[in-house]
Amino acid sequence: MLSPQTPITKPVKLSVRDMDFRYGEKKVLDGLSMDIQAERVTAIIGPSGCGKSTFLKCFNRIHEVSSAVKVTGDIKIDGVDIYRGGIDEVDLRRRVGMVFQKPNPFPKSIYENVAFGPRLFGVKDRTTLDGLVESALRKAALWEEVKDRLKESATGMSGGQQQRLCIARALAVNPEVLLMDEPCSALDPIATAKIEELIFELKENLTIVIVTHNMQQAARVSDYTAFFWLGKLIEMDLTERIFTTPRERMTEDYLTGRFG
Amino acid sequence: MPHAPDTLLDLPSSTTQTVPEGPALEAASREPAFRHSRAQRLADRWAHLVFLACGLLVVALIGGILYFLAARGVGAFIPLAGNTDKVLTLREVFLSTNWDPNAGKFGILPFIAGSLTVTGLALLIAAPTGILASIFIAKIAPNWMKTLMRQVMDLLVGIPSVVYGIFGLMVVLPWVSGKWLSDSPAAGFAVSAAILAVMIVPTIVSLATDAFESLPLSLDEGSQALGSTRWQAIWHVLIPAARARLLTATVLGLGRAIGEAMAIQMVIGNNPQWIALMRQSTDQTPVLRLLFTPAATLTTELVQELPNTAAGSTWNNVLFAMGLLLYLMTMLIILATRRLSQRREA
Amino acid sequence: MPAPLPFRPRRFARLTDQVMRVGLWGLAAAFIAVLLVFVGVILKQGWPVLHLGFLTRMPETLDAGGGIKPEIFNSLYLVALSLAIALPIGLGAGIYMAEYAGQGRALRFLRLCIETLAATPSIVLALFGMIVFVQMMGWSFSIRSGAVTLALLNIPVITRVTEVSLLGVPRELMEASYGLGATKLQTILKVALPYAATGILTGLVLTAGRAFGESAILVFTAGTNTSQVFPDFRLTVPGETLSVHLWYVTSDGTLPDAREIAAGTAAVMIVVLLALNLLVRFLDRAIRRRTR
Repeated sequence: MLSPQTPITKPVKLSVRDMDFRYGEKKVLDGLSMDIQAERVTAIIGPSGCGKSTFLKCFNRIHEVSSAVKVTGDIKIDGVDIYRGGIDEVDLRRRVGMVFQKPNPFPKSIYENVAFGPRLFGVKDRTTLDGLVESALRKAALWEEVKDRLKESATGMSGGQQQRLCIARALAVNPEVLLMDEPCSALDPIATAKIEELIFELKENLTIVIVTHNMQQAARVSDYTAFFWLGKLIEMDLTERIFTTPRERMTEDYLTGRFG
Repeated sequence: MPHAPDTLLDLPSSTTQTVPEGPALEAASREPAFRHSRAQRLADRWAHLVFLACGLLVVALIGGILYFLAARGVGAFIPLAGNTDKVLTLREVFLSTNWDPNAGKFGILPFIAGSLTVTGLALLIAAPTGILASIFIAKIAPNWMKTLMRQVMDLLVGIPSVVYGIFGLMVVLPWVSGKWLSDSPAAGFAVSAAILAVMIVPTIVSLATDAFESLPLSLDEGSQALGSTRWQAIWHVLIPAARARLLTATVLGLGRAIGEAMAIQMVIGNNPQWIALMRQSTDQTPVLRLLFTPAATLTTELVQELPNTAAGSTWNNVLFAMGLLLYLMTMLIILATRRLSQRREA
Repeated sequence: MPAPLPFRPRRFARLTDQVMRVGLWGLAAAFIAVLLVFVGVILKQGWPVLHLGFLTRMPETLDAGGGIKPEIFNSLYLVALSLAIALPIGLGAGIYMAEYAGQGRALRFLRLCIETLAATPSIVLALFGMIVFVQMMGWSFSIRSGAVTLALLNIPVITRVTEVSLLGVPRELMEASYGLGATKLQTILKVALPYAATGILTGLVLTAGRAFGESAILVFTAGTNTSQVFPDFRLTVPGETLSVHLWYVTSDGTLPDAREIAAGTAAVMIVVLLALNLLVRFLDRAIRRRTR
């Protein structure tokens, strides 16, 4: 639907080669390789426990916040290795934003949530901040709903609004890539539809990688789809092709609900 | 619970009973009777009341302490039966710095000021270091270091106050006086507050660590996913989010500090006239004079003088009034932490 | 493409992050150092005094060379008595709070009282014990006055630890018991308490350590003298404990070797508390092994 009939191939934004991910003794991801194109939406699907969320978190190294893990192989952003290429994780995370499974606004005002990122990078000027906040909220299609209550606490918003606020917060630092880890799993259908619409608009100038266990969602929003199973990449192709004529038997079985 | 008819309840064994008839009897004699005896049922009913009584005893204690301390403390201001001595006005006691019991002067302001000063100084040291240490334990230390730090805190909190006191008396006072004060005595607020800080820091660390550890990881991730450093996440997100509980930790540390008696009594110098002494001497800067003038607090004065006074005397009654004041402060502190936690929930 | 945002390089934030990380490690090291110096100095000062005679002689009132034999006995005796008084009350109140009080106003009020009692300075408890037991009951400075007042210190701790341990019992376990037709009392006594026992025991050891170190309460209730008979189990005689002895010899100042006696007593207390700490860690590990 959204994927063009004859895709114009975009430059590769993120490339992964022979990547293993170990958590303690356990190998969670095994020999992964794939290319993710710029300004496209790439969906990652697969049964729970297949390592799709873990994979996503490797792109901004956010898993390092909570635990010691071991990643081998290469992950490159614009051709630069993000683990060994001299980028530190703080820089990386500014360029690679993330939206989490459950909305996680800070217990601050709506305005402060969005202004948080720019402030981290030394933006102090009030007018500049105001502009950044407004533009990020507009991009997240939230501005009209909250412009009169920017000073109110973000924790009082509905779940869908909170999630769009988290998207706005991520957008405010002008990332090149946006990682979305099952962003709608805690939301109702209407809120989900809004976020999906947003994803479609955002890919104009953003590379989006979205993990979802909702296959319809992957079909609706993504240009490319990758199917993971037990820590391995089984198949990756244009979304249309994956959902109509998958090459692998396993993909077909999963999509038709024979396991998963 | 199976509800057997009451008649069956009394059935101790089949031998003492007249033989009933019918299939019910057959079942009863073949299988053991799975029923609660009357004693068990009674016990179950009464247990509730026994446990409740234990709880009520605690409530009664809270009231009892208040009543008995008030009964004695109030005697300083109101002529009660059994009072052998003169009564005072509130003003003479709470707003006067003149403590000279033999001359009939019972101003306890020096002790109140002393308690507040030593507690304030101790918190000035213990609150920041305690909160920083809890950040270290909750967010930065690897697991082995977390365990080690917890054990250090457990040991620090377990050391008795008299042992802290003797350490201050035998080690810290001579060291400070020899090293910094050219051998003039070091007893006073500085050493007292330093020792008190070590004594209350485990309380603050333990509660503040809980506060940080109970914050959802998603806050930390949310901040760092935007490209904040770990410290920025701690400073701009985690500390504000934990603010109410950090304040609670500090207030409970304050509670411990204000009630501590023996350790401070051994190092503070026990000088009820410390305010006057401080005013007179001019040989140091005011700050140094405050830190190293031998002083006294509510608790140290109680330890120092209570054994020397006769029950029913004005002197004795005023001391109990000081105890009552300490107790009321405790209640205030607990109520304050309650308010803080309600604000957190709201 | 949007205009580039006015983001400045982040050297300062990075530097702060590094400095704080190093600083916090330093702070942690400082805490460990304080503890090591403290324990080390106390043990070192007390070591020369710690010979068998010191532990087995009676104390002197005016001459040098006194021991701490009865103080050791009094400490242990008073801790045991105070725990024996506090345990049933604390257990009962803890059981009530965990299993009977529900979630309403009664529980909140009870918890407020427990917290208040736990936060009450021991010098205040001492005053209360002095009025009620020493004076009104006419027990004067004695083991029994001391034990009862000391129990007031223990009750809130035991209550809290009982409540917390009971709340940690898996609800499925208790439901299984109810499912077999057990009464509430039976379930509490035969299922919940045994499960919570190790936790309660840990709390009890901690309470014992606290009572062992307590001095303010005992100065004003058990007194600063000790019976000349050994061992004296009578409840009516004064019973100076180790901690009170330590304080009294230094503040009284009549003994020529007060300093040595204080140092030795402090070392003995530290050794006992280290041993109790090891016991707590052992119990803790036992609990963790079971829940894993």
